[in-house]
Amino acid sequence: MGGGREFAISLDGVRDKNVMQLKKLNTVLFPVRYNDKYYADALASGDFTKLAYYSDICVESIACRLEKKEGGAICVYIMTLGVLAPYRGLGIGTRLLNHVLDLCLKQNIQEIYLHVQTNNDDAINFYKKFGFEITERIKSYYTNIDPPDCFVLTKFITTSQANK
Amino acid sequence: MGASLPPKEANLFKLIVKSYETKQYKKGLKAADAILKKFPEHGETLSMKGLTLNCMDRKSEAYELVRLGLKNDLKSHVCWHVYGLLYRSDREYREAIKCYRNALRIDPDNIEILRDLSLLQAQMRDLTGFVETRQQLLTLKPNHRMNWIGFAVAHHLNSNGAKAVEILEAYEGTLEDDYPPDNERCEHGEMLLYKISLLEECGFLERALEELHKKEPKIVDKLTYKEQEVSLLVKLGRLEEGANLYKALLTMNPDNYRYYEGLQKCFVLYSENGKYSSDEIDQLDALYKSLAEQYTWSSAVKRIPLDFLQGDKFREAAISYIKPLLTKGVPSLFSDLSPLYDHPGKADMLEQLILELEHSIRINGRYPDRTEKEPPSTLLWILFFLAQHYDRRGQYDVALSKIDEAIQHTPTVIDLYSVKSRILKHAGDLVAAASLADEARCMDLADRYINSECVKRMLQADQVALAEKTAVLFTKDGDQHNNLHDMQCMWYELASGESYFRQGDLGRALKKFLAVEKHYADITEDQFDFHSYCLRKMTLRAYVEMLKFQDRLHSHAYFHKAAAGAIRCYLKFYDSPVNSPAEEEDNTSKTPSQKKKMKKQRKAERAKKEAEEKNEESSASGNSKFGKRHIKPVDPDPYGEKLLKTEDPLSEATKYLKLLQKNSPDSLETHLLSFEVNMRKQKILLAFQAVKQLLRLDAENRIHIAACI
Repeated sequence: MGGGREFAISLDGVRDKNVMQLKKLNTVLFPVRYNDKYYADALASGDFTKLAYYSDICVESIACRLEKKEGGAICVYIMTLGVLAPYRGLGIGTRLLNHVLDLCLKQNIQEIYLHVQTNNDDAINFYKKFGFEITERIKSYYTNIDPPDCFVLTKFITTSQANK
Repeated sequence: MGASLPPKEANLFKLIVKSYETKQYKKGLKAADAILKKFPEHGETLSMKGLTLNCMDRKSEAYELVRLGLKNDLKSHVCWHVYGLLYRSDREYREAIKCYRNALRIDPDNIEILRDLSLLQAQMRDLTGFVETRQQLLTLKPNHRMNWIGFAVAHHLNSNGAKAVEILEAYEGTLEDDYPPDNERCEHGEMLLYKISLLEECGFLERALEELHKKEPKIVDKLTYKEQEVSLLVKLGRLEEGANLYKALLTMNPDNYRYYEGLQKCFVLYSENGKYSSDEIDQLDALYKSLAEQYTWSSAVKRIPLDFLQGDKFREAAISYIKPLLTKGVPSLFSDLSPLYDHPGKADMLEQLILELEHSIRINGRYPDRTEKEPPSTLLWILFFLAQHYDRRGQYDVALSKIDEAIQHTPTVIDLYSVKSRILKHAGDLVAAASLADEARCMDLADRYINSECVKRMLQADQVALAEKTAVLFTKDGDQHNNLHDMQCMWYELASGESYFRQGDLGRALKKFLAVEKHYADITEDQFDFHSYCLRKMTLRAYVEMLKFQDRLHSHAYFHKAAAGAIRCYLKFYDSPVNSPAEEEDNTSKTPSQKKKMKKQRKAERAKKEAEEKNEESSASGNSKFGKRHIKPVDPDPYGEKLLKTEDPLSEATKYLKLLQKNSPDSLETHLLSFEVNMRKQKILLAFQAVKQLLRLDAENRIHIAACI
């Protein structure tokens, strides 16, 4: 998936000392402004939130939030996953998402979901490759952008999947 | 020792001495008081008590007691010795030497005193005295290894290297064949290397080489052995052997620029100023190509040819050097190539080159003659390089546009913001530079280097309070003034001083500059412990190097800046004393009684302010330092007002001027300042001398000269 594989892709966690990198990425990548709660959740999610470095340049990030459902199970909500424009198609996004999915498997988390704007076909196709499915459509989810609707993509992870 | 004391008191006296040596000061005091109860006029006890008090920070009492003791017992060498120790602890070395000499007059064979005296003489560079003392020590105790070595070093420092070698040979003669034992091999090896380097210095090159080969099994430091050998071979003109040895050294470390230099010297292809004839260039090119085949992983072997190649060859070599580094993403590429910008014509060639690469990457995504695609980061690093390039050539708009494009491309790279900040600073917008440096800092709060850069920019933009707050983020305990001062963080103090000076706050500026000056005084002091340590550990070559370094200490750039800054403060202060309350002699527009009243008023104001501050500070320090043994001295003059109160600013200025003139005689600034100061002191002849020096250094810079006259 993409060339330039001889360049190192490494992952690093997000701490209060480097959270500005995450902010910079979000400012450039997303039309939505995220508030302090977002960053607090990201920092609290531990290993699930990561920055990806391509040849020691920070180009991508995945930020997650751990949520408790009724019944006590934990599920993962992907708040953002985005890569800088020049570095797309190099397999970095795949790497990040696989990292999170692996973690879910190890920690027996069975559900992982996210919101995607209805017109974002690229993103929808990307996630479908990993086994995500559209489970819901929410009208007027976004307040400032157009179209305001979004899909909920969910992936259910069962341990039997790992044995396949 | 104790002059005619009965046995009980004599024991107590011994106890005092032992307590002093083991730092049990209270015990020593008690013993001293016990003796003094019976013998209140006993000189030596009084002296020892004074010495103990000195170590407990009761200096004035200490001095009194010691002087009293001395008065009571002038003929006691102990009293003089103690007096000398007292002076030494206060860094009054000349006085201390005098006291020690007196003590020696009374007891000429006292090893303790001789040893202490020799240390002081080394410190004060009293070289003839040092030699004498060392000789005496040797005569008294010839079985003590240190005395031989010390005597040899003394002669070496006194520029008598040949004598030093003789002594070392004599010393070696006293050793047995199976010396040294295993735990002393390093030290013995060091001594041998020292002897050989002495021989080299004196010019006995053949002998040095012989010695080196003979003693090879005993020398432990093999790398230095090789380096010493190759230096001797080259000096003796045995160039082929030297070349082979350099190649062996290069195999060990192919990135050592000195080895390449040496190799060039062996092929008689070395030129100090970097200028070569075209024949020589061809030869060098061939040499480096062959070396590059051997040492493929070395970066030096590829970088050095860029310095001497010209024209098309340079272009070729530059392209092949730069391309892989751009792909890899080396941020320091520009700094690496920066010296080339001083060579005529190369800057243009580099510009052309890089612009071609940029064009090619933008259109095709690959280098002009390659087929594989470049990673997206290459464009980023090209833009980064170009921004620095245009910055260096003074085209700030283009530079800014390039760096802005780079930031848009990949906004997460911190180096981009640092470079943009630097471009803005060069373009003159210091405030914007500071705020950009702050943005860079926020992106990695754990990086102290970025923090320091940000502090520097803030100080350049005269945002002193903000700079202090930012610097504090990385200091221990958040007590920034003391911590940065203790760590001898001179760049910070200089930058603050210059900022205060620009804002006209002369007192504080002067304080900062003098703080830097004090660091240099401390560095000079610090060498004291090494005189005995190095002799014991046999690190003789390093010791001699250190002494040479200390001799040149005040020519260091930071000292120069600090002294120049201090002199400027004093000059400004002399020129416009109306702002300060103290200098009223020049103020002729007021009548004497008015002046007196104003003086009193301001003194009262100031006293009140100082008392307030003292209260504040002592209560603050009381709270925070509760439980600590040592109370940090409260800074009695935080705004530098007392410094501004000096009666004669010009004499203070002259103090620093003399140091500058002695140590930085090749700097234009030194002589400019000398001119300024001497004109004000009406010493026209000295001022004229300064102008002459300026002419000598830079005959073209007539603007300066004209301004002076």
